[in-house]
Amino acid sequence: MSKCDDIRGRLTLYLDDELQGMERAAVEVHLSECESCAAIFERELNFLNIVRESGQLYAAPPELRAKVQQILRPRRSSRMSWMVAAAAGLLVLLLPVVMWRVVKQPNQPENGPACSFALMAAETHLRHVGGQLPLEVESTSPQHISEWFVNKVNFSVKLPNYQESSGQEKLYELEGARLVNFKTDYAAYVAYQMKERPISLVITSASGVEPTGGEVIAAGGLKFHYNAIDGLKVLTWSDRGLTYALVSDLEERGQQSCIVCHQGTKDQSFIEPLKPH
Amino acid sequence: MEHIDSLYGYALALTRDATEAEDLVQETYVRAASSANRPETDSNLKGWLFVIMRNAWLNHLRHRNSGPRFVELELVEPSTGEAQGNPHVVYLRKLERQQVREAIESLPDAYREIVVLRDIEGFSYQEIATVLDCPAGTVMSRLGRARGRLRKMLEPRIRRIDLRIG
Repeated sequence: MSKCDDIRGRLTLYLDDELQGMERAAVEVHLSECESCAAIFERELNFLNIVRESGQLYAAPPELRAKVQQILRPRRSSRMSWMVAAAAGLLVLLLPVVMWRVVKQPNQPENGPACSFALMAAETHLRHVGGQLPLEVESTSPQHISEWFVNKVNFSVKLPNYQESSGQEKLYELEGARLVNFKTDYAAYVAYQMKERPISLVITSASGVEPTGGEVIAAGGLKFHYNAIDGLKVLTWSDRGLTYALVSDLEERGQQSCIVCHQGTKDQSFIEPLKPH
Repeated sequence: MEHIDSLYGYALALTRDATEAEDLVQETYVRAASSANRPETDSNLKGWLFVIMRNAWLNHLRHRNSGPRFVELELVEPSTGEAQGNPHVVYLRKLERQQVREAIESLPDAYREIVVLRDIEGFSYQEIATVLDCPAGTVMSRLGRARGRLRKMLEPRIRRIDLRIG
């Protein structure tokens, strides 16, 4: 068997990521040296990409989601749900204050990978941007979106209207929302646009989710974890039983990313300490 | 719930019937929720759910006499992302996706199932072998035949679309 026959016999395994180590390297070396095998590889890769890019073929209908949620729900105690809802309500009321009253504190570097929720949020952001996760409700009204989540998630979502309430210059705009799956329940997904660039906010009440890794920003008694995942900036934090993830491809990093959305604030005493000196 | 869309897609590939697919997804979650053998890590959860679904489906087939029914199914259409591109290219890409989906739908059951598991859901050969309860070698050969059939159906159409885009 010629070298070309041998490599062509392994192309499918290579394209399916089923070759490791020396076998994988041997295919790559040959493809870099042999034009005819490289052409076959390109053709096969193009075909597989077209099939794979057809993406998720179907989405489960909302009625089915609701039924499955009922199947999974009995394991959660009703008392706990009430407490989470109450804590969530408090949090969303306090969130604007927390986000605005960031006090500059030394950042603590932290090793270790990002938590599964941060990874899910980044993947969700990419899938939404790629058109695989269309919004279930489209609106620029925080109130409308907040009402849409009622009875869909087991916590209260009340999106603050920072810009109008604070007199902040309008830098970003709400687009809409949808439900996304995380662990055994729904998480709330909210999409924003800023200068035509997408920003995603994901909120979950799932237990055992603890933001980890990346750069730690201490602010307002909370710890914000800033991770870079697949070229995206992901900020995660937990408070009162809920965990939040904010995903964007904005260039700013760490606490500078807070300034991006809040730079129009009139409260310069808050924003000044965050700026680089 | 994070795998419900994947499970629903796989259920449709198995049943070709929206109502039966919904029932199958529910049965899968009921079985999973009452199982004491839940995987310890989330990375194994998806494969485990697929195994449960397939076993539930095979069990169902053993107890029924009628063949599968065929109905019009509602496809997911990406609504954003491409919207800012050239409208003609967006249209052709949409057409291409539609044709790929139709081609997958028209494959024989075993071929459709393996293409969904590998190329849509991204399972490895070994994971597919576990779901299908067959040797990995069978996965490779069946996948090769399924893709061959798919390529034959799609190549002329894809070439036409590329010419129009180019």
